[in-house]
Amino acid sequence: MTIMETRKHGDAADGMVGGRFSRLDGKLKTTGGATYALEQPVKNLVHAVLVQSTIAAGRVVAVDAGKAKAAPGVLSVFTPEDDLGLLVASDWFGNRPDNQPFHPLPREVSFNGQAIAAVVAETLEQATEAAKLVKVSYEETQPVTGLDDPNAGEGRLVDMLSVGWGDAEAAYAAADIRIEAEYRTPREYHVPIEPHGLTVKWEGDFLTVWEPSQWTHGMARTYAEWFNIPADNVRIVSPFIGGGFGSKAMGYTYSAVAAAAARKLGRPVKLAVTRPQTFTAYGGRAATRQTIRIGATKDGVLQAIVHRGASETSVLADFPEQTGAATPLLYAVPNLSTQHRLVPVNTVTPGALRAPGKNPSAFGLESAIEELSYAIGMDPLELRLRNYADHDYQSGKPWSTRQLREALTVGAEVFGWSKRSHEPRSMRDGRQLVGWGIGCGTFPVLKAASEALIRILGDGSVEVVSGAIDMGQGTYTILAQTAAEVLGVPAEQVDVKLGDSSLPGATVAGGSMLAGAITGAVHKAATAARDELIGLALNDSNSPFRDTGANTLVIADGRISVPRGEGPSLTLAELMSAIGRDRIETQRNTLPEGANGPEDHKRSWTTMANIEGPTAGDLSMHSWCAHFVEVKVDEDFGTVRVSRVVSAFDCGRIYNPKLAESQWRGGIIMGIGQALLEEGLIDERFGRVINNNMGDYLVPTNADIPHIQVISVGIPDHDASVLGGKGVGEVGIVGVAPAIANAVFHATGKRVRDLPITLEKLI
Amino acid sequence: MTRTIHLSLDINGKQHELDVEPRVTLLDALRESLALTGTKKGCDQGQCGACTCHVDGKRVLSCLTLAAQVEGRQITTIEGIAAEGGDLHPVQAAFIENDAFQCGYCTPGQIMSAVACIREGHAGSEEEIREYMSGNLCRCGAYNSIVAAVREAAEMAATGVAAKDKAEVA
Amino acid sequence: MRDFSYFRAASTEEASRATLDAGAMLLAGGTTLLDLAKCGVTEPDTLVDITHLAGLGDMTVDANGATIGALAKMGEVADHPGVKAAFPAVAQSLSLAASAQLRNMATIGGNLLQRTRCSYFREPGVFPACNKRNPGSGCSAIGGVTRNHAVLGTSRACIAVNPGDLAVALVAFDAYVEMGRRRVAIEDFYMLPGETPDWETVLKKGEIITGIAIPASPAAKNSTYLKVRDRQSYEFAAASAAVGIEFEADGKTVRDIRVALGGVATRPWRARAVEQSLIGTVLNVEAVEKASRLSVEGAVSHGGNRYKIELAPRVVARAILTMGGLA
Ligand SMILES: Cc1cc2nc3c(=O)[nH]c(=O)nc-3n(C[C@H](O)[C@H](O)[C@H](O)COP(=O)(O)OP(=O)(O)OC[C@H]3O[C@@H](n4cnc5c(N)ncnc54)[C@H](O)[C@@H]3O)c2cc1C
Ligand code: SF4
Ligand code: FES
Ligand code: FES
Repeated sequence: MTIMETRKHGDAADGMVGGRFSRLDGKLKTTGGATYALEQPVKNLVHAVLVQSTIAAGRVVAVDAGKAKAAPGVLSVFTPEDDLGLLVASDWFGNRPDNQPFHPLPREVSFNGQAIAAVVAETLEQATEAAKLVKVSYEETQPVTGLDDPNAGEGRLVDMLSVGWGDAEAAYAAADIRIEAEYRTPREYHVPIEPHGLTVKWEGDFLTVWEPSQWTHGMARTYAEWFNIPADNVRIVSPFIGGGFGSKAMGYTYSAVAAAAARKLGRPVKLAVTRPQTFTAYGGRAATRQTIRIGATKDGVLQAIVHRGASETSVLADFPEQTGAATPLLYAVPNLSTQHRLVPVNTVTPGALRAPGKNPSAFGLESAIEELSYAIGMDPLELRLRNYADHDYQSGKPWSTRQLREALTVGAEVFGWSKRSHEPRSMRDGRQLVGWGIGCGTFPVLKAASEALIRILGDGSVEVVSGAIDMGQGTYTILAQTAAEVLGVPAEQVDVKLGDSSLPGATVAGGSMLAGAITGAVHKAATAARDELIGLALNDSNSPFRDTGANTLVIADGRISVPRGEGPSLTLAELMSAIGRDRIETQRNTLPEGANGPEDHKRSWTTMANIEGPTAGDLSMHSWCAHFVEVKVDEDFGTVRVSRVVSAFDCGRIYNPKLAESQWRGGIIMGIGQALLEEGLIDERFGRVINNNMGDYLVPTNADIPHIQVISVGIPDHDASVLGGKGVGEVGIVGVAPAIANAVFHATGKRVRDLPITLEKLI
Repeated sequence: MTRTIHLSLDINGKQHELDVEPRVTLLDALRESLALTGTKKGCDQGQCGACTCHVDGKRVLSCLTLAAQVEGRQITTIEGIAAEGGDLHPVQAAFIENDAFQCGYCTPGQIMSAVACIREGHAGSEEEIREYMSGNLCRCGAYNSIVAAVREAAEMAATGVAAKDKAEVA
Repeated sequence: MRDFSYFRAASTEEASRATLDAGAMLLAGGTTLLDLAKCGVTEPDTLVDITHLAGLGDMTVDANGATIGALAKMGEVADHPGVKAAFPAVAQSLSLAASAQLRNMATIGGNLLQRTRCSYFREPGVFPACNKRNPGSGCSAIGGVTRNHAVLGTSRACIAVNPGDLAVALVAFDAYVEMGRRRVAIEDFYMLPGETPDWETVLKKGEIITGIAIPASPAAKNSTYLKVRDRQSYEFAAASAAVGIEFEADGKTVRDIRVALGGVATRPWRARAVEQSLIGTVLNVEAVEKASRLSVEGAVSHGGNRYKIELAPRVVARAILTMGGLA
C-alpha cells in the first residue's frame, strides 16, 4: 500500500514508470498552443451548421430551404432530398450489411433533435443564421418519450445479459431479512468542454478529417466505408481532444454530413455542433431503472440478490446501459439472478459515458447494501467486509488481484470512519445535518492489442509514434516514461507523436484499456530498439564497443556503456554518430505470433472484435475502489454539499501517480455531479430535452468540490497488463453516487432512490 | 458578405486589422479570423468560461462580446501572457506543476481567469478561490489542482518569486 | 445572430434618438442581449453601443443613499466599499450572481432589463408558442417542465420567473430607476405579466436607464441577501430573499423590516404581508416562520415548481432569523 503524498516535482527517483512527471503536453495546453479539431488552419474553408428536428417522431414532409438558400453567403442546403451517396459502415465489432445506403439526414424522424438538414455558407455567422431560416414540415406520430411513457412497455429481455447462479428467488423468499427497492438514474450527458465537430478536406479521393477522436483507426474505417474508398485514403487527425468520456469514439451522422458536403462542394468544410445540439447529436447515458431484492441472515450474511433492470434505448439501435454489470461482482452471494431489459423510446441512441453499466449498476447495489445495513443495524463497512468476495462468483475464477479489502480498510482509516455514529440524523455541524456514506466501485480489465513505433534519432533523442490518443488521460506522458525507462534516457529526451490514423495502429481509448494496451506495445518496440542499438554497438566495425569483448551493454541516464563500468561510455548521439546512423526504427505490436497479418491488424485496430474481457483467461481481472463521503445537508432548503471525500483505489501499478490521481478525482467529481445535479429534463409532450445547455444542465463548479483525497492501494498485476497496471479512467466514478445517497440518508433519514438528489426531494 | 466593418484590434500588444460583420463576436474573430485559437469555445452562451480573456486587464467572456465593442481596448489572450522571452507566466507554470488540467480545453480560460482572480485580490483562501473560479467549468474535474495552482501562484505573486524560477521547474 | 449594424453613441441623447427606430436596441454589457440574439429571441437591426459614454458609470454613496450610474458594472458595485457598508444585501445580490467574468461585463442598467431564463422562451425555433416573445401565441411552459417557473404573480398567459438578483434587493429598499429626468420606484418599474407578458417594464421606446438611486435606511444597512440554488455557484436562484431589519432602541423590537423574494415570481417580489406581521414585534423563531409563510400567499404551483412554495418561506425565514441573530 502506498498513500500518495503529493510530491513537488516529477523525477526518476520513483523509477521512470511510476514517477510523478508533469504532463509532456503541459506547455502546449497552458499557452494556447495545443490545436484542437476546429482550430486547424485550413484554407478556403466553408462552414456547415446543422438543422435538427423539432418533433420526436414522424416524417419530414417537406423542407423549404428557399429563404436559407437566398441568404447571404449560403452555398448549399442539404436535406433529406439529397442522396449523399453514402453506405452504411460497420458497427463497433466490424459487422456490416452489404451495400446498404446510409442517409445521415433521414426522412423518418425518430427523436427530437435529430439532424435533418445542414446549411453551408462562407462564414460561421451566415451559416448559423441561414440554418434558422430552413422551414421543415412534418407529419407527426405519437412518440414514446421515456421509460415511464405508458406506451413504453416492459421492454425486451436481453438474454446475453442475464446472469445467475443458485436459486435466487427461493433463497430470497427464505431469507430472514429481506429488502426490496427500485432505483433510477436519468439521462446524463458527457458535456465535454470541447463541443463536438470536425474539419474535413478532400484531395481527390483522399480525405483528411480533423475530429476529436478517442479512436483514430476505428473512425478512419468508418469514413472509408461510408464513402466506399480504401481505408488508407482516410486520415483522422486528433492530437488533442477536449474531453471525450466515451462520446468521441465514433463518427456520427453529422460527421458524415460534413464530409459529404465537402465532397459535393469541392471545398473544405468545418462543422461545429452547437452546445445545445450536442445533447442530441449523439447519445449520453441512457435513463435506467432497477429493482433490487436482497436476502440476508440477521447477522448480515448475504443469501440472495435478485436484480431486475431496464434501460432506454433508441428506436434505431440497441444500446444497453447494463444495470446488472456490477451486481454479480462486488459481494460473496450464494444465489444471484440479474436480468436487463431494453426499452426503445424516441431518443437519440444512447452511448457510452464513463463506466457504462457499472455506474448505474453500482448506484443500485451500493444503495441497497446500505439499506440492508440499516435494516439489520450493522455498520455498512462491516457489512461489506463480512460479505467480501474471495473469488469471482460469476465466472468461478480467482481474482488476478483484488485489493478492495485494503481499499475499504485504508479508506476507512484515513476518513476516520470509526468515529461515525450509525443512527441516521445523529451527526450535526451547527444547523447542518452531517452524513457519511460508502460506495464501492469496480471496472473490468479489458485487453487489446496495439502497435507502436520507436525511433532513435542521430541526436540521441527518441520518438514514440502511435495512432493512440490522449484526451487528458496522459498518454503522451506515460509513453515517454515507458520508452525512457526501456531506453535508459531521461523522459525529456523522448518526444511522443499521437492521434493520427496514419500512424501505427491502436485500440480505442475506451473501457480504460488504452494505457495497458499501448504501454505494452511501446515497451515491446522500445525493447526491440534497445536490442538493435546494443547489437549495433557491439558489432558495428566503427563502434568503440566492438573490441571491448563485452557481450552486452547497459544504457542509463542517456549513456551507453559496458556493464561493469570499464571501457567507453558514450551518449546515444555519440554512438549513433560513431556507427554512422541517423535513425534506428522499430515497429512492434502486441498481437500474438501467427495472428499478425494485415487482416488481423485491421480487425484489431479498427474494430472491437478482438478485445478480451476480464475473464477471457484463467483469472478474473478488475479495478476496484471504495469511496468515503461526507455530506452536509441544510434540511430547510434540501441542499446537499459534499464536504469531504476519501477514495482508495486498486488499479494495479500506477504509471504516473500525478496523472492517475487527476483522473480519479475527475471521475469522482463527475460522480458528484451525477449524484446531485445532472439530469436531462424531458418535456413529455414533445419528447425533447429542454435543459440542453450548460446553464440548465448543471455540472459541478469549482465551488461544489471539496478537497478529494485519493489513495492507491493497488499492487502490480502483470496478468492484467505488461507493466502491471489496471484501468484507471472509469472506475473512479463508480460508487460515488451511492456513497452520496448513503451519506444523505445517514444525514437526514431520507433515502433518495432516484438521481439526482435535488433539493425538492429533501424538503 | 453583407455589411462588413473594418476593425483594428489591440491584441496582446499588437494591432490586428480585420474586416468582419458587426455581429462577429470577439471569440469568433480571434478563432476564425485571427488564428488566435488559444481562446476556446465551450458553449457560446456565457455558461462555461472557456472563452475568458482580458479586456483592459479585466476578465470577460469573449463569446458575449462583439469584436466591434472592444476596438480601442486592450485585449489579452492566453497567447499573450507569457513573458517576451517565452518564459511561462507563473500561473501557467503552476498549472503544469499542479496538474491543473487534463484535456486542456478549459485551461486557457481557467488561466486567464486565474490571472485576473489573483490580480483582483480574490485568491485569499481556498474557499474564495473556489467561488471566484466558479465561472470556469472543467468537466475533466481538475478543480482541486486548479485551486492549488492559483493558491501557489497567488503566494508567489505576494512574495515576488520571479516567474522564471517557476518556469524552469515546468 | 441576425445581421445588424453597430454604432457607438456619442451621447445619451444620440443613443436615445437612435433607439426610437423600430429595430434599434441599446447595447451595454451584451450578456443578455447577445445571448438572446444568438438564441434568435431578439433580432435587432441596429445595436447602439452605450458602453463608451462617459459619466454613466459613476457611483456615489453618502448619508442619503447611493446613486449608481447605469453603466457601472455588477462587479464594481459588488466590490464598492460604500455599497457593501450601507447596502450589504445589494452588494451580496450582485456578488452571488452569474460569474466573475459576467459581472465584469454586465451593467446595472442591463441587469435590470435581463430577461427570463424560461427554456421555452429561449428556443423560438422549437417552441413557437410563447406569449412573451410573440403575444397571443400561447405559453409552451404551462403543462411542460416548470421546475424553474414562477409560483407568484403568474397569469394564464405567462409563468416565467424574473431571474435577476439585484432587483430583488432594490425592491426591498425602495430604490428608484432613473431614466433621465423621469424617476420611477423600482416596484412600479416592473409589471406583472397579466395578458401582456411581452410588456415587462414601464420603460418607453427611446428611454434610457441612466442610473439607480437607493435611499439610505437603517434596514438597508442591516441587511442580507440569501440565495438558494442547486449548484453552489454560477446559477440563478431556486429561491432567494433580501431582508433588512431596523430594531428599536431596545435592540429587540422590530421598527422596520423589508422582505423581498427572488427566483419565485414573475417580477421582483416585495413581501409586505411578512413585514406587516413582524413590525413592532420581538422576533422569535416560531413567529418568524409563521410570518414568512405569508410571503407565498396566493402562490400557484404548475407541477415541477411546487417545491418553491415550500422553499421560499424557509429562505425568507432564515434570512430574517439571521438578521435577528436567531439563526
Ligand atoms: C450564464 C449567465 C448566468 C447569469 N447568472 C445570473 C445570476 O445568477 N443572477 C443575475 O441577476 N443575473 C445573472 N445573469 C444575467 C446578467 O446579470 C445579465 O445578463 C446582465 O446583468 C445584463 O446586463 P448587460 O449590461 O450585459 O445588458 P445587455 O445585454 O447589454 O442589455 C440587456 C437589455 O437591456 C437594454 N439596456 C441595457 N442598458 C440599458 C440602459 N442603460 N437603458 C435602457 N436599456 C438598456 C438592452 O437594450 C437589452 O435589451 C446571468 C447571465 C448569464 C449569461
Ligand atoms: S412562461 Fe412566459 S416566457 Fe415561458 S413560454 Fe410561457 S409565455 Fe413564454
Ligand atoms: S464559450 Fe464563452 S462562456 Fe462558454
Ligand atoms: S481540463 Fe478538460 S475540461 Fe478542464
